[in-house]
Amino acid sequence: MTAMYDKLVDLLVNHFKVDRSEIKPDVTFEDLEMDSLFLVELLLVVQKELGVQVSDDAASPRDTIGRAAEVIEEQAAAATSS
Amino acid sequence: MTASPIAVTGLGLVTAVGIGAEDSWRGVCAGRSAARRNPELEGLPVDISCTVPDFDATKRVGRRSTLVHDRFVQLTVTAAREAVADSGLDPKTWDGARVGVVIGCGLGGVSTWERQHRNLLGEGPGAVSALLIPMLVPNMVAGHLAMEFGATGPNFVTATACASGATAIGAALDLLRDDRCDVVITGGGEAGVSPLIVTGFAQMGALSRRLDEPGAASRPFDADRDGFVIGEGSGVLVLEREVDARARGAHIRARIAGYGASADAHHMTAPDPEGAGIHRALRAALADADVAPGDVDHVNAHGTSTPLNDAAESRALRALLGTEAAVTSTKGVVGHTLGAAGAIEAALTVLTVETSTVPPTANLENQDPDIDLDIVSKAPLDRRIDVAVSDSFGFGGQNAVLVFTSA
Repeated sequence: MTAMYDKLVDLLVNHFKVDRSEIKPDVTFEDLEMDSLFLVELLLVVQKELGVQVSDDAASPRDTIGRAAEVIEEQAAAATSS
Repeated sequence: MTASPIAVTGLGLVTAVGIGAEDSWRGVCAGRSAARRNPELEGLPVDISCTVPDFDATKRVGRRSTLVHDRFVQLTVTAAREAVADSGLDPKTWDGARVGVVIGCGLGGVSTWERQHRNLLGEGPGAVSALLIPMLVPNMVAGHLAMEFGATGPNFVTATACASGATAIGAALDLLRDDRCDVVITGGGEAGVSPLIVTGFAQMGALSRRLDEPGAASRPFDADRDGFVIGEGSGVLVLEREVDARARGAHIRARIAGYGASADAHHMTAPDPEGAGIHRALRAALADADVAPGDVDHVNAHGTSTPLNDAAESRALRALLGTEAAVTSTKGVVGHTLGAAGAIEAALTVLTVETSTVPPTANLENQDPDIDLDIVSKAPLDRRIDVAVSDSFGFGGQNAVLVFTSA
């Protein structure tokens, strides 16, 4: 997977106390018991820790971790190119 | 319909002398103050506190606890789990709609508030957690207990400052008497040992300045008392109708027989010097319990160790009860836990009634000559206690008194 995926996994482990072994690209946030409030918090932490600007609808509880990493990557790339 | 007495069938405690009722009770009976220097308060006008030691929230409450619960919720969930387990009731099978939760809390999630405010000032709005509000609001503790136990009946938090825990238990008693609930999980929780809150109490002159001797700082009713020592913790009881408790063969620790409440209408923070408000709440509670003042064997006093409180309280107790009752203040050991105090003291009063043991008041070396009460000091007193009073008073002039009787 991408570097962004690895960073996202680290954030989930360090900030959200998710067991690393539970995280896989096709696992959803819902599977990790992360609801919409946690997702808002996650995106705040992504912005703060990774210095990446992401929209507040970049991920929802039914998205997979892999998909969320892609969206964050795309938005980060769009922000730097614009 | 003949009203059933209300029984205490579950009890949980988290205090500076122990996580759990057994350790807390042993620590309180040992009569040694838990007050220590607190490194988190270094550099402030007062840097001593009675803090719950070695509390691992992730282990005790859950892996995401530190992310979603302020410490006051963590302490209360821990005490509530103990209380519910102690009751023998099974949350998986009870009718949750008939189970209420009433918890007292004077402050709410103040350490979360302070941390997030630092983030706002230091790094800007993007550094403020989306979980700030649910961690901050005081009522969230009752909401978490509802989720924890599937308790979908009446659910609220009471705020009467340092009487909050006693007010909550009084309200819980009313819910059972009014037949709005069959079971109520009730008590108080507070975690107010934060730099801002401690400084606030220090600035108003409420805290002891005996900083070089923290273990001697909380000394209720002593002539040399000079203020309270801030503490934290939680006390939780499970209450139900005695007829129900007997039907399921539950162990009844004590009965809660009466509740009385009043307001001083005197001053923001100072008690009415004659203790008139205290006197009214005490009389109301005894009348509610249908006991005469002379029948009171024991008082677990508010006894904060401030010059004003202990003087006004002892005057009111002396005037109404005389000098026969064995009085103690457990704040000498566990400090003043603010919104949790009334509930922790209620739980300790239940244990006193159940075990016929009155814990000593720590640091009472030289009883204030103006305080004419029989105050237990030095060692626990073995005495049968059939009628016991726990009284609590809050800044704002709010007074709450509970009466417990032997089962």
